[in-house]
Amino acid sequence: MNVQPAMSAAVAAQESPALEISGVGRSFHVGAGFLRKGKTLRAVDDVNLTVRRGEVLGIVGESGSGKTTLSRMMLGLMKPTDGSIRMDGQDIRTISRSDLSRKVQPIFQDPYSSLNPRKTIGQIISLPLETHGNGTPAERRAAVEQMMLQVGLPPRLIHSYPSQLSGGQRQRVAIARALMIRPEILICDEPTSALDVSVQAQILNLLKDLRETFNLTYIFITHDLGILEYIADRVAVMYMGRVVEEAPARQLMRNPRHPYAHALLGSMLTPDPTLDLPDLHLGRGFPDPLNPPTGCSFHPRCPKAMPECSNLAPKPLRNDNGMVECHLYREGNPQ
Amino acid sequence: MDSATPPILKVEGMSVDIKVPAGMLHAVNRIDFSVNPGETFCIVGESGCGKTMTSLALMRLLPRSAKLTADKLEFDGHDLLNMSEARMAELRGDRLGMIFQDPMTSLNPVYTIGDQLEEVYLRHRKSTRKEARARAEFMLERVGIMSPALRLRQYPHQLSGGLRQRVMIAMTLMCEPRLVIADEPTTALDVTVQVQILQLLARLQKEFGMAIILITHNLGIVARMADHLAVMYAGKIVETGSAVDVFTRPQHPYTQGLLRCMPTHDHGAQVSRLGSIPGIVPSLIGEQHGCGFRNRCEFARDICASGEIELRTPQGASAYRCVLSPDERPARVVEAAQ
Repeated sequence: MNVQPAMSAAVAAQESPALEISGVGRSFHVGAGFLRKGKTLRAVDDVNLTVRRGEVLGIVGESGSGKTTLSRMMLGLMKPTDGSIRMDGQDIRTISRSDLSRKVQPIFQDPYSSLNPRKTIGQIISLPLETHGNGTPAERRAAVEQMMLQVGLPPRLIHSYPSQLSGGQRQRVAIARALMIRPEILICDEPTSALDVSVQAQILNLLKDLRETFNLTYIFITHDLGILEYIADRVAVMYMGRVVEEAPARQLMRNPRHPYAHALLGSMLTPDPTLDLPDLHLGRGFPDPLNPPTGCSFHPRCPKAMPECSNLAPKPLRNDNGMVECHLYREGNPQ
Repeated sequence: MDSATPPILKVEGMSVDIKVPAGMLHAVNRIDFSVNPGETFCIVGESGCGKTMTSLALMRLLPRSAKLTADKLEFDGHDLLNMSEARMAELRGDRLGMIFQDPMTSLNPVYTIGDQLEEVYLRHRKSTRKEARARAEFMLERVGIMSPALRLRQYPHQLSGGLRQRVMIAMTLMCEPRLVIADEPTTALDVTVQVQILQLLARLQKEFGMAIILITHNLGIVARMADHLAVMYAGKIVETGSAVDVFTRPQHPYTQGLLRCMPTHDHGAQVSRLGSIPGIVPSLIGEQHGCGFRNRCEFARDICASGEIELRTPQGASAYRCVLSPDERPARVVEAAQ
């Protein structure tokens, strides 16, 4: 089960962060056809994030905010059109496909479509080892059984098919498969949103335990801030392709700065029957990603919008603790 | 429950059985509940607990393979169980409305928003096209859609998810129904939009005085919206009562477990571990005995496996189906989540 990364990378890994995303952008050309010029959709725009080893970075945002596009770029499944992504200090464009897959593995949202229905659980979990030529068949089988125990799957399920498993069990299979070649980083894209609450809690607890056992770094993508409060160390809030606020999870929960982060936090419905629905004071003007609003892209919905928000894009304001990108916060006027 | 006005909906001993290759699947197993005029009644439970089958049964829209039985199924003085299909079709969309989970698939993509809204009114109110158009414009405005005249000419794909759900709500309210059944109406939407749609529903409920049956798996929504609620598990109602009672003093081990699974928002107080319920839901195929929750329940004992578990109705708390009262259960791990 020994993974042998290149020595130079190992040396670089000592001091560099696990993942460094600098100025990353991704555009798509859509709507182009015969005699028709397409438009450019900027799904991800100038994203800068640094993830330390062993950290859990949560990325939160609504559908269309670019979080899944960003995760696909981190997995090397899609190339950024701008900027670079570095893993252990090395640009992922220079890392071979097989080396990259030893470093970073995905866990997807839907455990129903992400497992091959015609393979047994044992085959699914051992496939990464076979692909990378690790171990003999007997060793691989032992490793699979060991991993099944670690993710809470009874080893008797080794000959079962995905269709015979519950949603929670399937997600455990996906987690086991991702961990087989001992990656450093797991990219979890809404790993629990297809699951029931009681099962969601099981999977979140499992991910938390595995992080300690395998010394993992997580990128945790979700639209549910409640989950991030539980699992994340830092949170980046995305809106229309940009990171609009980044902060330690606790700080963001206690004191969100960007009005959108504020609204997201206000949308968390705690099970308290004495409370009414929150009033978010949000506008309903949904921006068209093909014609993004001028200035700050959140201004059509922002309860605190000022005249300059509609014509001037805000500059990111950084400090040791994170970043916020909003006209309410600028140099010399931190609050 | 204490009001003098008769309930708008009364369900007694309702079951839905579905024939599947492996046998008979008891999706809904002898449930009772009633909904008062103008109130919000929530049905909460996890996938496969029978909540959607319950809503389809009330609308008499069950798949052909499903069989509906009940001792009583009474809506606004009508007997839904023995009503002819033609009468039922008159009721649907008029006195009885429904909002589905996915506004993309429940709107017809080849008709304009206007056509679809007007059709409801033309069909039930024998109005002229002009009256129907005016009504459609009025309803779009009520659900907070700007420039309704323009929207009426658009097709569903030209609207965002939140707007489509507003259109669905407008369509449901065209004839001012007495009861609206909303099955996971906000599950497909973003969290900020979800809050806005729920607010809209609550506001329209006050304005038009309709009762709502809200079906959801989200306990946060239930707590904020429900007057009364029923917790379903494995086809049965395991606990029912007022929202305040169920959330402040949950009686059934399943309800208690569900509440512990919720990530609570304590303004940054780090929770080290979420409560969870081990195991998975039982198969509902074949004869069902005893308590459906027993294979996941930490308090389960031999008597849980046989017979029908009686409904207990303690004073000042919700009614529940468990052989043990909360005081009789061993006091362990109850508040371990903190």
